[in-house]
Amino acid sequence: MSPHSQIPPAPTSVTPLFKAHGLTKSFGPNVILDGVEFEVPRKAIVTFVGENGAGKSTLFNLLSGIVAPDAGSMRLNGRDYRPHGYGEALRLGVSRVFQEQSLVGNVPVYENLLLGYEGRFTHAGQWLDRRAMIAAAEGIIEAAGIDVDVRRRTADYDFSKRQSIEIARACLATSHLGGIVEPFVLLDEPTSALDRRDEDAFFKLVTRIKGQGSLLFVSHRLTEVLAISDLIYVLKDGQLVARLDPATTDEKTLHGLMVGRERAADYYHERRQRPVTDGPALLGVRKLGRSGHFADVTLEVRPGEVVGIGGLLDSGKSALGKALAGVEPAEHGTVSFVSGPPEIPDIRSQVRKGLGYVPAERLTEGMIPAFSVAWNISLASGADLFAGPLGWWRRRRELATAARYAKEMSIRSATPAQRCARLSGGNQQKVVLARWLCRQPKLLVLDNPTRGVDAGAKEEIYRLIRDLTDQGVGVLLITDELLELIGLSDRILIMQRGSIVTEVAAPPDAKPTERELVTFMLPRSGTPGRSAVHQIPETLQ
Amino acid sequence: MSALAEAAPRRAARFAFDRNAIDASLWLPVGVVLFLLVFFSLATDSFATLRNFTAISGQAGTLLIACLGGTFVILMGSIDLSVGAVVLLGGAMSVTLLNHTPLGFATIPAVALLGGLLGLVNGTIYTWGRIPSFIVTLGTLSVFSGLALTILDGRAIQFDLDGFETIAIGQLVPHLPNIAFWALVAWAVVVVIASRTRFGRYMYLIGGGETVARTAGVPVTRYKIYAFMLSGVLAGIGAVLSVARLGAAGPSLGTDLLLNSLAAIVVGGTSLSGGIGGPHRTLIGVLIIAILDNGLNLMGVSQYSQMVVKGLVVIAAVLVSRDRSRTTVVK
Repeated sequence: MSPHSQIPPAPTSVTPLFKAHGLTKSFGPNVILDGVEFEVPRKAIVTFVGENGAGKSTLFNLLSGIVAPDAGSMRLNGRDYRPHGYGEALRLGVSRVFQEQSLVGNVPVYENLLLGYEGRFTHAGQWLDRRAMIAAAEGIIEAAGIDVDVRRRTADYDFSKRQSIEIARACLATSHLGGIVEPFVLLDEPTSALDRRDEDAFFKLVTRIKGQGSLLFVSHRLTEVLAISDLIYVLKDGQLVARLDPATTDEKTLHGLMVGRERAADYYHERRQRPVTDGPALLGVRKLGRSGHFADVTLEVRPGEVVGIGGLLDSGKSALGKALAGVEPAEHGTVSFVSGPPEIPDIRSQVRKGLGYVPAERLTEGMIPAFSVAWNISLASGADLFAGPLGWWRRRRELATAARYAKEMSIRSATPAQRCARLSGGNQQKVVLARWLCRQPKLLVLDNPTRGVDAGAKEEIYRLIRDLTDQGVGVLLITDELLELIGLSDRILIMQRGSIVTEVAAPPDAKPTERELVTFMLPRSGTPGRSAVHQIPETLQ
Repeated sequence: MSALAEAAPRRAARFAFDRNAIDASLWLPVGVVLFLLVFFSLATDSFATLRNFTAISGQAGTLLIACLGGTFVILMGSIDLSVGAVVLLGGAMSVTLLNHTPLGFATIPAVALLGGLLGLVNGTIYTWGRIPSFIVTLGTLSVFSGLALTILDGRAIQFDLDGFETIAIGQLVPHLPNIAFWALVAWAVVVVIASRTRFGRYMYLIGGGETVARTAGVPVTRYKIYAFMLSGVLAGIGAVLSVARLGAAGPSLGTDLLLNSLAAIVVGGTSLSGGIGGPHRTLIGVLIIAILDNGLNLMGVSQYSQMVVKGLVVIAAVLVSRDRSRTTVVK
């Protein structure tokens, strides 16, 4: 190409690469996205920020064809874009890097890069031309500017390298092999698992790719968002609340836009919150750690106290809950529960001592949907339900217990014999709670106890938590819902990257605001881990 | 076949608490039994005779005992391929104990204990090694068979204890061989265990949602080992009884149990994915397999064609019972 060749400005450069109009999606009664309108300019990095549950993941699912919108339309390259499934989205030029990696570990890197494009490298339909494949893969790696030998086994590379490979595939395989001129790449929390050095490489890669197409980010890391984005959209409760130019905004403004809903004190029964007396601790945790998840966690829960744990998705708070319950035991440190000795607990001994654990994943860890309400309630019962050395099953007692709790907790099911799969999310969660209540627990570890639960059942669960604390039950509340965290907790511990960074008191008359909490959850700009991000624009200049 | 296909979603959908025993989907296998009875009665004269029914119950007895423990293993979502090999090794040990020790009738509990130990080996390797039960029991199948054939030296060995055969071929109930009688007793006991004890409950829970059970503090590992031990104990008892019935232990003892036991359990309606079904259904499955074997024999169908038919029956049973919409990856 001669330097003087006259390329007329393409008319497409005016139309944005992607445009969404009135996107709406609900699941049951919950409106997840409500008339979202936005556009993605060409060769740009656009970021969506928002709280957990603001609708970001659903938005990505719509864009990548995994779910279809209830209303609204999308245009890609000026053409109507309505993909049925991710395969079609990919063919049309929209690729996505999923949070969990989707590379096949046991094959060489080049096979992963060309996954789905093997047909271009075959003779007689079946014989793969290995040399041509390697050459094509090397072209992609070179364009991405990452240091990888495409002939090596994918699993030999560490997480961040594999992520770079995946991003290179999503961005460049489509344009090199799929005939897509300007790929549109969706990246869901791409840096959450990367350490500082890898982040540098990641930003370089992203900037290189920006020369080819456009990228759409979802990220919790606002410093990083401000550093690399050309355009920022703020999503709150399914609605687009702001469209910002990163040059003229700052983190504080973003926080303020992301949160700031009204909290109804009655909903969380805040007036029933009692000051906790300085008695002996019910649960004492000392320097608890599990590599790759959390480290050096020290905390106490006293009888009748609600201790909230907040943090971003990757903060390690759920893993901490699992370790305290003993489901996935910790590796270092000790836990002493009731009057027991300090130890690394396992679930059996914790349950025996009076701990109840409600996991976040209700349908896979919390309950067996194919089984009845009665069976799910009695799941953790022992000698009281199965008598004698033969473990003879006391049917009447089981049915009576199930019926009693179904009534007390107003679990709306016809009979205790009803299969749990047919219950609503709220009733299912009450069944999981009833399992522990019928054992008269001393401490409950609740991981997102109201996830997927309707507003009415939520309020009932909150009231139940107050009833329990009145009776001296301690509650460790791990939750992504900020309002719930603020409304229910006596104290709030904030976790960041596996460590507790702050404790915030939350007495009924002086509750912290969502904004304050979010500021604690997000990595501070001044901390060493973040400084690299600030240097990025300079290194790119 | 369309009737079978229509029944499929109902079977997958229905799992009623405490009414498990009278599940509507139970009627499908029962219907098959009735169909086979009518079909073979019309097809051959010698089928519907008291003598032949005595013969069928004798054949079905061993199969039923050997299948009962395996049903628990499948109910909790694992599989025990070594049942036939445990029977072979148990049979070899039986003749050895009967011929070379003064144990006499005490051979029965001794071999049952041996079976329990073999089950303990299976269960321990499976749970501690975190190896799929399919692989573990495929391996021990070979190990146990090899040991048994070494003991037998590849030959059939007769036992010499007068009256021992009566425990299998005597008739406490007229026209019902004792082996079938004891099998029914064992079946009744196992059904009670499944539906009325903690052990039985845990089998359903582990099969239906192992992670959930673990998260609720159910001692999953221990109960998995118990299930394999029970499978071994019952296979051991089955071994002594079939040795008593045949008068000897030979290299072919238990070889047909590998397919027949899995076939009976699955055809009866215990789901390979775990949590659904139970030993009460295995009785029906055993009847289907035993009647099919016997009827085809009487019709003069060759042994080889019978293998074809039985294989197809097993595949058809799984096809009918499986909720394919929920299975994404099959390995």
